[in-house]
Amino acid sequence: MSQEMLALLVKSLWETTYMVAVSGFISALLGIPLGIILVTTNKGHILENTSLNRVLGAIVNATRSTPFIILMVAIIPVTRLLVGTSIGTNAAIVPLSIAAIPFVARIVESALKEVDYGVIEAAQAMGASPREIITKVLIPEALPAIVLGLTLTVISLIGYSAMAGAIGGGGLGDLAIRYGYQRFRADIMLITVVILIAQVQIVQSTGDYISNRLNKK
Amino acid sequence: MIKLQDIEKIYQSDNGTIHALKGVNLAVEQGEIFGIIGTSGAGKSTLIRCINMLEIPTKGSVTVDGKELTSLKELELREQRKKIGMIFQHFNLLSSRTVYQNIAFPLELAKHSKEEINKEVVHLLELVGLSDKKDQYPAQLSGGQKQRVGIARALANHPKVLLCDEATSALDPQTTKSILELLKDINRKFQLTIVLITHEMQVIKEICNQVAVIEGGKIIEQGKVIDIFTQPQSNTTKEFISSIINHNLPDFFKDITLLPTPTADSNLILRLSFIGHSTEEPVISSMIRRFNIDASILYGNIDHIQTIPFGTLIVELSGEQVSLQQALSYLRTRELGIEVIGYVARNARAAG
Repeated sequence: MSQEMLALLVKSLWETTYMVAVSGFISALLGIPLGIILVTTNKGHILENTSLNRVLGAIVNATRSTPFIILMVAIIPVTRLLVGTSIGTNAAIVPLSIAAIPFVARIVESALKEVDYGVIEAAQAMGASPREIITKVLIPEALPAIVLGLTLTVISLIGYSAMAGAIGGGGLGDLAIRYGYQRFRADIMLITVVILIAQVQIVQSTGDYISNRLNKK
Repeated sequence: MIKLQDIEKIYQSDNGTIHALKGVNLAVEQGEIFGIIGTSGAGKSTLIRCINMLEIPTKGSVTVDGKELTSLKELELREQRKKIGMIFQHFNLLSSRTVYQNIAFPLELAKHSKEEINKEVVHLLELVGLSDKKDQYPAQLSGGQKQRVGIARALANHPKVLLCDEATSALDPQTTKSILELLKDINRKFQLTIVLITHEMQVIKEICNQVAVIEGGKIIEQGKVIDIFTQPQSNTTKEFISSIINHNLPDFFKDITLLPTPTADSNLILRLSFIGHSTEEPVISSMIRRFNIDASILYGNIDHIQTIPFGTLIVELSGEQVSLQQALSYLRTRELGIEVIGYVARNARAAG
């Protein structure tokens, strides 16, 4: 393989890693609190607010049911507003994050719902405030499940990022389509696929390892 | 120490309203172990949760240690809750924290310093006998050990009151005994007021001074444990007691007709209950000597309610009807509980 191709591979690998890392971080930052709100505003929970719960739930569902490629194009004005351009790697981060936030929110929601309500009740009986219950009970108790959920999110983002080529985001998936498929370079196709598989493997094993270490059940 | 007045609790659910508590009044004195017994669905869980306002009563007032909790704002209520410990049937420990960290949790919430927390936790670990388990996680403990952690955690803030929500229902009889012993110990040591709910009469008998029987959201009977055990009024109470003390007639009576009034040649069947010192008096033998009658014991049992001996005898007296009536009058003058079960025709048992 030529020097040139190698440089291209390295560049694409970096682009994928960069897009996934940044959008993964942003989606965790916003998705985790959203998931917490979804759980705690539920009927009978510590911050019951059923109307807020319903509105947020509807927004989350709407975002999740939009196909990624359409979401990416539809929010171009928002992307331009946030990063100043609608093409390139940075531009791709916006739709990736927006697609992943509700995904994270639902995963966090289901992880927190697994926490036995008796434990929350015990904390209430000890005089804990809702904030203390969230930070000292809900999150620590659900952390192993949250970590697994974030792992799943990152892997989904690696998949989604292949579509980022449509708006010039670059990355391994884009490389595989443009060189491997459109230019019949089977070797490039094979290498990118192998790298993607390795990436997913590494993310999954790391996630499993951390989650296991955290799990005391 | 605890006063509940006219507590009503109504739940609104999708399938209509549920009237869980219908005007409950309770008063628990400082240092008492107060038991509330009822079948599942009787409202006892809701009732105990009203004491620390985990369930907010629809109507009525809750006063604990002189503070009316029902009139407090959220923030003040949280402060008051720190003075009320609670333990649970399923322990409700934090699985992500070690034994040490679980006991430290309420102290963290009360914003104590690390040193204070350490001192207190070490002391509590010793009290519940778990010093060697302090770095283990709840998943590594047995049920009894988990409940000990629960108790230590509940005591961390030096509460005035300890609420026990079916604290021994998930434990085997042996472990139940040791947990009850621990509770009794704590009650004596710290003059701690304990309120417990249970569906097991055994628990009431082991450690409670006072008991209330709840049914259908109402307290149907209430009083000293010894009184309730010896003179139960309602059927529910009798049923609970029969689970540990046999108040039923022996099986062979099922086929025999009991008459409410005497006939010339019928035998008298009595249930006698002895409490405290009267168990030491030779009542039966002196009755036999005095009135020239025979007594056969059909059933007998002596039990202890905490330290008070408590016995039950079912006897069949035979002899002249006049003598039987005299014997009955004599027994009524003694310090014991008497219940005339009925009269049976002489030889009825032999024939049956």
